[in-house]
Amino acid sequence: MKRAAWYLVAGAVAGFAGVLGFHGRGAPAAQSAAAGPGAAGATQAGSSAGPSPASQPGQASQPGQASHSSPAAAGGGAHSAAGATEQFGYGQLTVDVTVSGSRITNVTVAVLRTLDPTSQRLSTQAIPMLRSQVLAADGAQIDGVSGATFTSQAYVNSVQAALDKLHFK
Amino acid sequence: MSAPTVRSGSAWPMGRGSRHTTPGRPRVPLPRPALARTALLVAGVGLGATTALTLTAETASQFTAPGGPATFAGNLTGMIGTYLALVMVLLVSRIPAIERVLGQDGLVRWHRRLAPWPISLLAAHALFITVGFAQAARAGLWHEAGILLTRFPDVLIATIGLGIMCLIGVISLRAIRSRLSRETWWMVHLYMYLALALSFAHVIVLGPSFVGHPLTRLVWSLAWAGTAGLVIAYRFGLPVARSLRHRLVVEEVRPEGPGVVSVICSGRDLDKLPVAGGQFMLWRFLSRGRWWQAHPFSLSALPRPPYVRLTVKAVGDYSAALAGLRPGTPVMVEGPYGAFTRHAQVWPRAVLVAGGIGITALRSLLEDLPRNCSPIVLLRASRREDLVLGPEVSELVKNRRGQLHVLLGHREQASIDERDLRRLVPDLHRRDVFICGPEGFVASIVDLVKSLGVRDEAIHHEAFAL
Repeated sequence: MKRAAWYLVAGAVAGFAGVLGFHGRGAPAAQSAAAGPGAAGATQAGSSAGPSPASQPGQASQPGQASHSSPAAAGGGAHSAAGATEQFGYGQLTVDVTVSGSRITNVTVAVLRTLDPTSQRLSTQAIPMLRSQVLAADGAQIDGVSGATFTSQAYVNSVQAALDKLHFK
Repeated sequence: MSAPTVRSGSAWPMGRGSRHTTPGRPRVPLPRPALARTALLVAGVGLGATTALTLTAETASQFTAPGGPATFAGNLTGMIGTYLALVMVLLVSRIPAIERVLGQDGLVRWHRRLAPWPISLLAAHALFITVGFAQAARAGLWHEAGILLTRFPDVLIATIGLGIMCLIGVISLRAIRSRLSRETWWMVHLYMYLALALSFAHVIVLGPSFVGHPLTRLVWSLAWAGTAGLVIAYRFGLPVARSLRHRLVVEEVRPEGPGVVSVICSGRDLDKLPVAGGQFMLWRFLSRGRWWQAHPFSLSALPRPPYVRLTVKAVGDYSAALAGLRPGTPVMVEGPYGAFTRHAQVWPRAVLVAGGIGITALRSLLEDLPRNCSPIVLLRASRREDLVLGPEVSELVKNRRGQLHVLLGHREQASIDERDLRRLVPDLHRRDVFICGPEGFVASIVDLVKSLGVRDEAIHHEAFAL
């Protein structure tokens, strides 16, 4: 009986370590898989719609682009950062924010995973509106989209986290 | 109800020519303890891997987000609970290699011991997830529960599955189970397979360890498919194949004592039936009102082709009605099962202890043990009439130059105590101790011999649930 427990514990430790080891080795691949569009229930949505602000005409900021940091390509003082991954009850949301000086020049959605089709539809409808609000306000102090309260909350939180990373005031 | 055919004299029917042939010794696969240890190790690996998978699916920001800790607790309890449910199914899938080492009763004991865990973990999973999602959504608990049930794919049927599971858990509580007939309980218990099937989809579709992880999803699905395959093969396929091969029919029913009958069945190729003395089989007599239930009864002798014999004490409606079995009734069998065999021996000599109807398994075990095991046999029965198969046991003991001691009397007055054992079995700690009988009897003798310094490896027992 005592020996049985040892076999069980030894196995558990081996299994635990094995999975962690495998995960550590394959971490980048696993992350990209998580954000990939191939996964069922997980969808990546770019904020494709929404008017591009004309404040920085020279800016090569493509909506839907999810590059994590490319200040050189953006030229001048443009910096971008990924916000925190926000869980909002129906799924997860992560945004990338690009700033230049005191302006927010672009917000893209890096990860949008929703657990059901309805939430997916609501979120994809709300995100372009949220994006324009953020770009217009140059900050995370926005009204949000009514009817998509949780998505709005997550969007705001993620944007704010990214702005904090960039020390953006 | 027809009167049972009664023949006096030999333990076996006359005729059919084979009475004098030596009992066929089918090659019984040996129990390999290493296989059970490997299985244990694999079970451990699965547990560790399941836990690690839950951890790797979690990120720090998810955990610190509102509702994060509760959702994580929900994921963890869900994963481990589901994994333990898988182990539970495997424990009763009767994989022969494992069964030979632990015995059917050993496996069922583990199954029973483990049972509260998956059920309570999965109930906690449902609760934690609801709480976590409600916190994240800043919604009320009931509102969130409604959203989970109606808006999330497969959660509704999984919840129905959980309901069935909890219901089965409740009726399996000792206090309630003892009020149900064995058949009712068993039939309801089978719905557990349905409950598990219902809950499978939501794990794969929504589980954070599986969404976006095709490899994990594949491995998990394969594990469940493999388990289902084992259940179908060993709980259904093998018994059907064996029954078709041996085509057993009731040959004769003979009374052995008050409320005790032996059923002798005849069949084909019984020399190929891999059975060892002390084992039991699940018997399904294909007559009206009986065909739908299978009951475990010990073989009370090694098969003597073309015959096998089981001896049954009337303790319930079912066993009482067996006296009315008509010759010619077809029989289906599952098994043989049980690790209560000569393969369990660790010493050359043995002491065999039986209480009440436990004598049936002792009888066939004794016949199968090496002839030089100088057996000491202790039999306990309430009355002399209850000492069924007494003459047969006495004959076997004599042939093996062993000793037979009989204790008669009421359970309290004539219990086997320390003094008896020391006096009757002076070399107790250098013998294997085989114990069979009702659960309470077996437990008390096991405790007794343990307290007298007999090591666990040398104690072998088979308890009859009455």
